[in-house]
Amino acid sequence: MASVFTKSLRDQKWQIVGFGIALAVIGALDVFIWPAYRDALQNLQVPPALQAFLGSDLSIATGPGFLSSEFFSWTPILLIVYAVMQGTGAIAGEEGSGTLDLLLSQPVARRDVLVQKVAATCLGSALMVTVGAAGFFVSVPFVDINVTLRAITMAMANMLPITLLFFALSLWLGSTAPSRGVAAGGAIGVVTAAYFVNTLANGVRSLDSLKYASPFYYYGAGLPLVRGISWPHVVLLLGVAATFVMLALRAFERRDVATGGGDIDVLGALRLRRGARLHGG
Amino acid sequence: MRGERREVGIPPYRGSGHDARRTRSPIMRPMAMTGRQPPAIELCSVVKDYGRTRALAGIELRVEPGRIFGFLGPNGAGKTTTIRILLDLIRPTAGTARVLGFDCQRQSIEVRRRVGYVPGDLRMYESMRAGEFLDFIDSFRPARRDPAFRAALLERLALDPARRIRVLSKGNRQKLGLIQALMHRPELLVLDEPTSGLDPLVQEEVSRLLEEAVADGRSVFLSSHALSEVERVCQSVAIIRQGEIAAVEDVARLKARSMHVVEVTFGGPPPPRLFDLPGVRVVRVDGNTVHVQAHDGIDALVKAIATQRVLDLRTEQPSLEDIFLAYYTETPAAPALLYEERSAHG
Repeated sequence: MASVFTKSLRDQKWQIVGFGIALAVIGALDVFIWPAYRDALQNLQVPPALQAFLGSDLSIATGPGFLSSEFFSWTPILLIVYAVMQGTGAIAGEEGSGTLDLLLSQPVARRDVLVQKVAATCLGSALMVTVGAAGFFVSVPFVDINVTLRAITMAMANMLPITLLFFALSLWLGSTAPSRGVAAGGAIGVVTAAYFVNTLANGVRSLDSLKYASPFYYYGAGLPLVRGISWPHVVLLLGVAATFVMLALRAFERRDVATGGGDIDVLGALRLRRGARLHGG
Repeated sequence: MRGERREVGIPPYRGSGHDARRTRSPIMRPMAMTGRQPPAIELCSVVKDYGRTRALAGIELRVEPGRIFGFLGPNGAGKTTTIRILLDLIRPTAGTARVLGFDCQRQSIEVRRRVGYVPGDLRMYESMRAGEFLDFIDSFRPARRDPAFRAALLERLALDPARRIRVLSKGNRQKLGLIQALMHRPELLVLDEPTSGLDPLVQEEVSRLLEEAVADGRSVFLSSHALSEVERVCQSVAIIRQGEIAAVEDVARLKARSMHVVEVTFGGPPPPRLFDLPGVRVVRVDGNTVHVQAHDGIDALVKAIATQRVLDLRTEQPSLEDIFLAYYTETPAAPALLYEERSAHG
């Protein structure tokens, strides 16, 4: 009885294709323009602070360093956008649009609904990354970039744990916040803060220890291209993700389901508050 | 008849997981397994608070199986809250709810396996085709899938399964909602305002479908704020007002013992004191035409009228609306129900 899983995966097929192709095109373009960059960068001395700010311990004048800063340092954001859409849509989205009522009135446990939706997004993001990796597979063999396809596969797969972490965070926010909008806003806020904390901590020595608070530090951008996957970091990211899934499950199993139009209630409350302020002023 | 009973009864458990253990435990076993058919719905002191607002203030209700039961009340009285507790979409603050002998919270999957539900605020997946949506709903009860019955329902309600839900009219959405609830032949149908948005012909067809379900041994629990709807299809009715059950009545008995409105035109001026009968009240006299209300049956009144030359006689069955107006005029809180009722209609 995996119909929720199947439906959930089918619902995101165009996102998988769209985001996947975007990743593939960006990846292939980066690889193909590398020879031109290499010639220009050959004699360039990047100042250490700037180097650090680029978000990688790799030299930008090498193939892996170039791919790290041009691709792996920021493309997880694309995946995370998808993750936030899925995470907030799974519960809060269905609740807001009112379809959760009919779904949960079927003989299926809330836990099963949630687990199937999580499984669909795990597979969905893996498929997306696979489509994205295809961009490298059709470009790397033709360009002298000093990166193996195995390393590329590692680095692409390494984008999954951080994606799933933010998916799980959004899922939890979506099962506790009063509406999908609030949940998405909260999740995007956390993603943005985490990203900038990591880049700033890289560049400013006094803030260095802050980087340990950011999932992007544990993600490590293009490092897997040269060092392989850091398994402790993967375990940490997935552990936090699993914790958020547990929290989401706990919240979702315990609470009442709102009838459709939860968003309207929030708007109504805001309007009331504004009315009160106008009245007071 | 024997075969029907078997189908109506609770089928053997097919699922897995913790519910299976619960069903096997002797304490949790539904009454059906001990021989007696359990009530379709049984609510004991069900309270629901939303923060400091009390939505349900101790609902007591017992709905016997095999009938169409109306659940009547103005908007905001607690009808939808009660129904959503039955389906475990919301949890009661206190009290217990049972459906077909199963606890609505602890055995909610067992409940939902046997219940067909049409939400009051019916929302379905807009991008799906009607048929795809029915496939999706069917997938949750694989053992109860019945494509022939589903096709028959689609045909009877004249709904094209190839159409996308996005383009369906309100009435067609309502039909789809009813089909998804009916197609697995649930033991209990729970319908929250089911015929709003349907044209009268389709309403007729829906009434017939509900009657067929009941003839088949199933039960129907139907909420409405329109007395006329409840009156047309239901055998019994409970009235909910401000989170409490105000009355439970048998619709037929209610109508029989209730007031009749009679308009009679005589060949000449009626003799004075003709209508001095117990339970009869003259409302208005227009020349030779008299408007009368009879509160305790119509027999004595008809006999009194028959002593005179009668040119015209008209009698009306009162609507439940009139009946409850009559019922509640003595109790101070009662008119509020009917005023709210009217305003709910707009």
